[in-house]
Amino acid sequence: MELTFEANLLLSALLFTIGILGVMWKRNAISLFMSVELMLNAANLAFVAFAYELGLLSGGILVLFIMTVAAAEAGVGLAIFISLFRGKHHIRVDEHDSLHG
Amino acid sequence: MAGLVYTLLFLITVAFGLGVLLNRNTVSSAMCLVGVMFCIAVNYLMMRQEFVALIQILVYAGAIMVVFLFVIMMLNLRERETTPWYLRNARFWGGALAIVFFFVLAAGIQIFAVSGGTKATAAKEAAIAARETPEVILLATLMLTEYIAPFLLTSVLLLVAVIGAIVMARRKDEDGNEILIEEEVA
Repeated sequence: MELTFEANLLLSALLFTIGILGVMWKRNAISLFMSVELMLNAANLAFVAFAYELGLLSGGILVLFIMTVAAAEAGVGLAIFISLFRGKHHIRVDEHDSLHG
Repeated sequence: MAGLVYTLLFLITVAFGLGVLLNRNTVSSAMCLVGVMFCIAVNYLMMRQEFVALIQILVYAGAIMVVFLFVIMMLNLRERETTPWYLRNARFWGGALAIVFFFVLAAGIQIFAVSGGTKATAAKEAAIAARETPEVILLATLMLTEYIAPFLLTSVLLLVAVIGAIVMARRKDEDGNEILIEEEVA
């Protein structure tokens, strides 16, 4: 297999699907969060593949912005998990339903 | 030779990705995610995005994953993943939908490949080699001119995120008063 545009998009699609499966199957909030990070990485890979294919640099810039947002998201999300854990001593997402209407 | 290297990289990346999904131990899962991030950085290098590859390793594999591991070890998540009865059906249909989603994506890529949309690698490499200025300078120029508004907004976002993280993770006693860091250590 050569480094082609299609091969990179296929790799990106595979990683994104693994991320979706992780979000569907896991109950532990941190595993869920790691699957979301995997999906963000897959999207970044697709951005860079498009930038390389079209000879543009904007793809790299978008990847840098996505990384910043992912860092902010990780900080706030993990702080929320810590405060959830303080209250109930577990972070299984399906059992935290205090906002349920 | 280059084809062999890329095939190996592809297989290792997918294997690490499956490791994130299938590991029952959260720490091993996080280490597999670090592996995926390194593989993607190698992929960026092969696509001549050196600066983005560097930032990928520093920010993702370095900073973000350290925060993840810190929280996993602080909460000491040792319990096994079990499936309660009400989640069995949800898991089956969720998995089926994800696999359908993958085949839709693969079909789209296949249609693109059949219609012959890609350029030859040699032409792309020649265009990159013809650049006078290094990639970092081009990226910086673009970021500080065309993308200056999102760049400045990002700093506000990071400030809000830092304050939000501190407010969320702060501990309070029964009366709702703050626990100072000296009391917590003592």
